[in-house]
Amino acid sequence: MSLIRIALAGEGGQGVQSVAEILTEAAYNENQQTIYIPNFGLEQRGGVSIAFIQFSDKRIGAPKFNKADAVIALSGRAIGRTAGYSDQNTLFVYDSGFDFDKEELPKEAKKIIALPAVDTANRVLHPKVFNIIIMGAVIGLTKVVSFEAAKKALEHKLGHKFENNPDLRDLNYRALEIGKEMAEKSLQEEVDNNG
Amino acid sequence: MDNIIGEPKKAFMTGNETVAWACLAAGADIMFGYPITPQNEVMHYWTRLAPKYNRGFLQTEDELSAGFTTCGAVQAGKKAFTATAGPGNVLMQEPFGMAEAMRLPLLAVIQQRGGPSSGTVVYSQQEVTLTTYGGNGEGHRIVYSTATHQEIYDYVIKGFNTAWKYRFPTFILGDGYQAKMREPLEMYDPKDKGIEMTPAYPLIGVPGQIGKDREPQHLCNIYSLEEELYDVVMKVAAEYEAIAPGLVEYESKYCEGAEIIIVSHGVVSRAADDAVKILRNQGIKAGYFRPITLRPFPQQQLRQCIAQSNAKQLLIAESAYGQLERLIKQEIYGETIKIDNLFMPGVGIIDFDIINKVKSII
Repeated sequence: MSLIRIALAGEGGQGVQSVAEILTEAAYNENQQTIYIPNFGLEQRGGVSIAFIQFSDKRIGAPKFNKADAVIALSGRAIGRTAGYSDQNTLFVYDSGFDFDKEELPKEAKKIIALPAVDTANRVLHPKVFNIIIMGAVIGLTKVVSFEAAKKALEHKLGHKFENNPDLRDLNYRALEIGKEMAEKSLQEEVDNNG
Repeated sequence: MDNIIGEPKKAFMTGNETVAWACLAAGADIMFGYPITPQNEVMHYWTRLAPKYNRGFLQTEDELSAGFTTCGAVQAGKKAFTATAGPGNVLMQEPFGMAEAMRLPLLAVIQQRGGPSSGTVVYSQQEVTLTTYGGNGEGHRIVYSTATHQEIYDYVIKGFNTAWKYRFPTFILGDGYQAKMREPLEMYDPKDKGIEMTPAYPLIGVPGQIGKDREPQHLCNIYSLEEELYDVVMKVAAEYEAIAPGLVEYESKYCEGAEIIIVSHGVVSRAADDAVKILRNQGIKAGYFRPITLRPFPQQQLRQCIAQSNAKQLLIAESAYGQLERLIKQEIYGETIKIDNLFMPGVGIIDFDIINKVKSII
């Protein structure tokens, strides 16, 4: 696998950094080279939280990057904050549940995709697995790790909670699967970018 | 020493966590510290690990105190270390100066953040001047600038040995990116890599009668006479210069026949390494030089790299406004190669930035 760069952005508390941690842990367990760096400036205190993650089969250079292969923006504000990481090779993904100014969307993208992750979490599953749907979506979009490795990393991170409540395990696995399918389906749909 | 790691094993963690594990594996007895981003997790991880392995920790009231208590502990024969950043590094120059004056083998990990003043809590390479030549002395220190988590691990272990073997304060110069990012590394117990740890020993309260069994332990940071101080500084300078050739470390690639040489240090060298490879694929003969020790500086090796090349230009890339450049200029005085720069103070540099700069100047 050649280098894949992902910027994952959302509001504090949405679990963006946890998703980055679990995904890179999964990649590490699959013997990939991987780097994860959170933004941790003062904007983190009440601002948009971004995780910069990279996957490769070769040694990875600088920890940050200018343009991503995939940008996932999980709030209205995060869209404007991350549009600059998009160019003609970028899959730009945002959640369809937020109101935002369409002008904020990137001018350049390979494809702009709206996913109903928040809505699905609220209606079908549980609001707290929103970020796991997103994690599934990242896997569906970029194939950076196998589904099995992702499940294993989830187990590693949340196993102690699953022990107390086995239903949680099922809920998380379903969220992962739904997210993955949602993303795969969106990739097959008509190109709707360059708006 | 304890078997801390057991069989060498892979790990995936932050740079700060790597520092804590490496200090543990190196046999550090105690850490003194005061919180400052982005080094806080060095303390957090150390305080989790230390009680399990019978090691110590003291959070002091500020960085001055953290530095001086580290100075005290090494005099008592303890392998002691501290970690800081930014304004904390400024405050610690006072105790680091004492460590230079008294030849105290402390180890300090610096995770550079943006400056001046509180700057940012994020990242920079703006503490090069401070870490190499800070304080009211002559910069008689050893400074390793790391680029990867593996190097953080390796050089923390090596740093304790350098400090205790030569009795100069020793620094591991990282940055906020290295502190906070996660990447894979291999952890090991030094003995499993054939590394013998130099034992710590008390510098005061040593046995034997002064004048009969031993010379006095003259640990002094103030002198009455100008001439006394002069003699001491000249002696330290001579000792430092004598060991310097054996201490310098560097990476040098593609210098032979290069048309431009890119010099960088620390985490920026990762981008430079990628940039040089891409440029060479595009037919631009770029060379690569990276000092690993910023003090002492591998000046002969950089001069050699220049000599091997046909380069008319040297490009210095750093996340500061000329701190590495000043070091290089003083070290290669007399060379006539043109020096260009890519100064990006307080922000990261990626391969793209370096490639663009090279194309704009050749």
